[in-house]
Amino acid sequence: MAFEKHRNILDYTLQTLLRRKFKNAGIILVFTFVIFIVGSIVFLSYSLKREARLLFKNSPDIIVQKMRAGRHELIPVTLGNDIMGIAGVSNAGPRYWGYYYDSGAKANYTILGISTFGLENNRMLTGRLPSAHERGVAAIGRGIADVRIIKKDIGSTLYLQDADGKWMDFNIVGIFESDSEILTDDLIVMSEDDFKYLVKMPSGTATDLAVNVYNETEIPTIAGKIKERFPDSRPILRDEIIRTYDAVFSWRSGLIVTLFIGALTAFIILAWDKATGLSAEEKQEIGILKAVGWETSDILEMKFWEGVVVSLTSFLCGIIIAYVHIFFMGAFLFAPALKGWSVIYPDFRLTPFIDFYQIAILLSVTVIPYIASTIIPSWKAAITDPDIVMRG
Amino acid sequence: MEGSDNRSGYSYEGIKAVNSEQWTVNSKTIIKTENTTKIFNKGKPDEVIAVNGLSIEISKGDFVVFKGPSGSGKTTLLSLIGCMSRPTSGRVIVGNRDVSRLPERFMTEVRRGTFGFIFQQFHLIKGITVCDNVMLPLYPTDVKPLRLRKMAEEILNSLNMKERKDFYVRKLSGGEQQRTAIARALINNPEIILADEPTAHLDTHLSDEFLAIMRKLNKQGKTIVIATHDPLVYEKDYVTLCIEMRDGRVRKMN
Ligand SMILES: Nc1ncnc2c1ncn2[C@@H]1O[C@H](COP(=O)(O)OP(=O)(O)OP(=O)(O)O)[C@@H](O)[C@H]1O
Ligand SMILES: [Mg+2]
Repeated sequence: MAFEKHRNILDYTLQTLLRRKFKNAGIILVFTFVIFIVGSIVFLSYSLKREARLLFKNSPDIIVQKMRAGRHELIPVTLGNDIMGIAGVSNAGPRYWGYYYDSGAKANYTILGISTFGLENNRMLTGRLPSAHERGVAAIGRGIADVRIIKKDIGSTLYLQDADGKWMDFNIVGIFESDSEILTDDLIVMSEDDFKYLVKMPSGTATDLAVNVYNETEIPTIAGKIKERFPDSRPILRDEIIRTYDAVFSWRSGLIVTLFIGALTAFIILAWDKATGLSAEEKQEIGILKAVGWETSDILEMKFWEGVVVSLTSFLCGIIIAYVHIFFMGAFLFAPALKGWSVIYPDFRLTPFIDFYQIAILLSVTVIPYIASTIIPSWKAAITDPDIVMRG
Repeated sequence: MEGSDNRSGYSYEGIKAVNSEQWTVNSKTIIKTENTTKIFNKGKPDEVIAVNGLSIEISKGDFVVFKGPSGSGKTTLLSLIGCMSRPTSGRVIVGNRDVSRLPERFMTEVRRGTFGFIFQQFHLIKGITVCDNVMLPLYPTDVKPLRLRKMAEEILNSLNMKERKDFYVRKLSGGEQQRTAIARALINNPEIILADEPTAHLDTHLSDEFLAIMRKLNKQGKTIVIATHDPLVYEKDYVTLCIEMRDGRVRKMN
């Protein structure tokens, strides 16, 4: 079995591609750009979803908020004991959290007062967390350390302004490292007491209540019961939150959607241009090749190689650039679109991650149609009798 | 169907065998048409009977000219003989084989293994070099690239094209393009050379040069078939068979 024939045809194909190098370079450029945009979006939305899932893996089954006039209000801690009375509830307790606006850095931080239901996900912590009643200590995200603290390490001091404008200082006892940044990068964890003092929260109240149940399938029923017994409460299910976050994370803004549609349009135009037919010159060339002894299958093989070379080159370039863009350059092109959720994120980094299933899908929706759109129009030219070239 | 084709020797090896032995062993006839007809657009208002019930016979080593006015069917007949198209009815026999009903693949193999074509417009590929053009017919075969290049260079040398082998076709003169086309027709060492109006774009001097090359190839034993209405060609004394056509039929043969 000799492969020389296929090698020869591939050789000729490469020669042909070089011969039309400006046209083909143009196609590869557009194609690479399309793959880059689509790949970036896929990488980004997928890893954001992963982060979100991680974030909520240990979060409570139900969060109960108190509502007044349709707005979220502080909730009495005693309500937790009442909820504990509902059958199927395993525990219910207060959470203390909120946002802190840092006018110096023009950034929003998430502040969390630690309690029994404080921080579930502390895998990434170096150092330790404050305990519930410990005063003047905090654990902070790497992002804040970078922005706010000169020494950037455990043992240094963080200054925050309380609700009356007075400065409080916190000794840093722990730092959340950047692996899963979205969760913890902008986070400040302090004791429940410090939190209440900082935001001047009335005693006996909390931001919301975290409720866990024994049997997951009962979550909606129990949420219904809570709502029934305490009409001014709003139970939020974990699934609902995840879904919302998914949506927010994936399609943070219309910009990404616009880019996506733009890229897709470019791809369709590219494929369409190919599929609508060959130039007279290409037809002529196919005729000549046939006349001098190429079979239909040889010509289709040549076109196949052409599609493979162009689309695989573009695909690899596009995917690699997208990977670098998302995981090593902080998705800087999408930064304007992502900025909304926290001002600190313009330079966030995601955990590099590749899902081969996704790559395979991306490959099959871009490379395969492209190869098809290269081969199919040549088909007609390739099956006609070669004697047409004998007439001009 | 394919199996029986293989058994009767239409495989690639089979065609090589035809080339080397059967033609020399069997009769002198190398091409024969039997009541061959080619109708374009059959059944439509613009139906054209380009070749009409034509029967001719060409012997090995002949120097044949098809002559006749424009539209008389010369090009069509050439393409039928050269396995470039199929007759509407009747038979075309190359060697001792009826090629008119062969599947495309085998027709291509017969074409590649038997014929060298020289077209009126040369039909070279503009963006590649002379040498690459000459190699073209043998790309889709298992000949190794280096060997293929050497074969092409040898043929170009024999046609005084040595200095031009790495030129791009668009930089060649008309005569050089013609010689490149001849070289390409010779790369597969064909038994038969078919040329359609080869001198139409050449001046007298170049036409003579072309005919000299054909004469030389003819002397080496190749069968030459030229379609032309150029008297310079058909009045040559070494033309062994001149078939005069009109309206798809043979008017005169001598
Ligand atoms: N593909 C085609 N479709 C329809 N008609 C065709 C086709 N090819 C050739 N013809 C017609 O067949 C007839 C014979 O054409 P052919 O090209 O064989 O003549 P010719 O003798 O080579 O003429 P010329 O000297 O002008 O080259 C012409 O009337 C031509 O119009
Ligand atoms: Mg003609």
